[in-house]
Amino acid sequence: MSVHPMIAALRKHKAGVILIAMQIALTLAIVCNAIFIIYTRVDNVRRPSGLDEANLFLVTQQWVGAPSGDDPDSIAKLDALEREDLAALRAMPDVESVTPTNSVPLLNSSWTGSVALKPGSDLRGGTARTAFYFGDENELATLGVRLVAGRNFTAADVVNRAMRDQRQPSLVIVSKALGDKLFPKGDAVGKAVYFNGDTMPTTIVGEVERLQVPSTSSWSSGFFWDTTIAPIRLNANFSRYLIRTKPGRLEAAMRAVTPTLYKTNPMRVLDDDSVKSFADIRSDAYRADIGMAVLMGIVCLILLAVTAAGIVGLTSFWVGQRHRQIGVRRALGARKIDILHYFQLENLLIAGIGALIGIALAIGLNMVLIKNFEMSRMPIVYVLGGLVVVLLLGQAAVFVPARRASNVPPVVATRSV
Amino acid sequence: MLKMTHLSKVYRTEVVETYALRDFNIDVKEGEFVAVTGPSGSGKTTFLTIAGLLETFTGGEYHLDGIEVSQLNDNARSKIRNEKIGFIFQAFNLIPDLNVFDNVEVPLRYRGMKAPERKERIMGALERVGLASRAKHYPAELSGGQQQRVAIARALAGSPRLLLADEPTGNLDTQMARGVLELLEEIHREGATIVMVTHDPELAARAQRNVHIIDGQVVDLAEDPRFHTAYTAAAGQVRG
Repeated sequence: MSVHPMIAALRKHKAGVILIAMQIALTLAIVCNAIFIIYTRVDNVRRPSGLDEANLFLVTQQWVGAPSGDDPDSIAKLDALEREDLAALRAMPDVESVTPTNSVPLLNSSWTGSVALKPGSDLRGGTARTAFYFGDENELATLGVRLVAGRNFTAADVVNRAMRDQRQPSLVIVSKALGDKLFPKGDAVGKAVYFNGDTMPTTIVGEVERLQVPSTSSWSSGFFWDTTIAPIRLNANFSRYLIRTKPGRLEAAMRAVTPTLYKTNPMRVLDDDSVKSFADIRSDAYRADIGMAVLMGIVCLILLAVTAAGIVGLTSFWVGQRHRQIGVRRALGARKIDILHYFQLENLLIAGIGALIGIALAIGLNMVLIKNFEMSRMPIVYVLGGLVVVLLLGQAAVFVPARRASNVPPVVATRSV
Repeated sequence: MLKMTHLSKVYRTEVVETYALRDFNIDVKEGEFVAVTGPSGSGKTTFLTIAGLLETFTGGEYHLDGIEVSQLNDNARSKIRNEKIGFIFQAFNLIPDLNVFDNVEVPLRYRGMKAPERKERIMGALERVGLASRAKHYPAELSGGQQQRVAIARALAGSPRLLLADEPTGNLDTQMARGVLELLEEIHREGATIVMVTHDPELAARAQRNVHIIDGQVVDLAEDPRFHTAYTAAAGQVRG
């Protein structure tokens, strides 16, 4: 079947053709970008944290009547309370490892700063940004991260630190990503770095394979894997304990942790939100991403459905309008399949025009999103995928009215009405 | 060329059966120009639609160019329509979105003919009807007579064995009708078999043979006093 007479015929129905082609173009442009956003969000959600997530939970609690100052006496008292808790938690039968901590990946509670190779560099002059995790000698074992170079902390390395204490740690373990960023030759261990513009050097004593920052927001995307673990026990009137249970004992340990802590010291606040499994932390962290992905998915489906309905509507209208013409074609020798193919090819032409415009719009929309919303460049495969989707959608939508057209009997050609 | 024997066509509804054709017999020889006449509702258009394989029939036999068509499927009927039959309709039935050239090309495309042969046949057919210079015009830009000439060119382009014309001058004024009729006569003189349905006795009189249908059956006018006067008088006037 030749397209030349078909194009000639379509020229006579410009308004309908332009409307459907533009609808297809907009659908392609929006669906491509929406699918790319969905993929980006889902990819974020599925990013492995590098932790033993299945057996981890976090307890955040606050002591009642505990000192809140930064003076040595207050720190000593707070440290005693924390050590008492840690001892009780480590004695629980289902617990494998516990560390005090300031934050954990995906918690969206970040301590961030700069790290430089020269002393006194301010934030802007920092070589890299990093997120800090504080913990004791059990931090790595509790997180479940793998040390790939250097050594772990010892108990002797761990120091106390008050909330408002600005001193930098004397030694740290960094993620391999941060180590390689600072020392591209891969020899970060043993090197000195300077945090937050300080002039006191900090020595990198080890590298862990993979550890992401607490934040899941887009602002942290530039240093998502650049983390620093410091051997610090933070002393404040609240504390966080990251607890790694024995395999399969997570629920039992979570049930037992509140009574255990109350038994150790009843002067504390522990509410329903105080004990959180890592699965819940992950779920909370990515709720917005998942919600956005679902919303985008629904928008895509609605758009595709509206476009399909538009194609069905226009084709049905044209079938009605050309009822006699179809009968004439049948009388002149067209088979049913010829009529079916006629409408399918006609739709392919219109959808093709729409898709070409849609490709340009999709790329343009992506550029706008890159410029204004820090989105990354959409790979061409999304555009090609969208192209296939709209063309297939067009063919599926046109099938029923086209089939109805193919069933118009040739005798219609002889009817006067 | 066209032979129907004891053919019947019944339209059935839940409550009534209507015989459009009943024990219908006709034999059109190759090269004949036959006019089929009859009053409104007599069954002439039903005869034409069945003859043109546009509709199926209920009983009897129909041989077209030696082929018994009752058992043919839709595709085979389409192929015969395309290759053996040329249609000329009262309402011309040109496709308004296509120009004259593309309209004449429609049946040739369904035959799967190569472009150079199509072009040769189309221009040949348009020259024959005197409209080669209007190939790029659209139907709306032509007069009724010209549109019917395009329809005749479309029917001729495929070199059909049988031309079926349904009131070919019904929508034309006298002058245009005369031109179309002369064209049909010329085509017939060149050897084409033409079956023309009309209720115009003057037009029927120009045909080689008249077949009259009343109540779905072929009747001999000489033996049927109801229509004898009207048709024979008109025929006599034309022939005289």
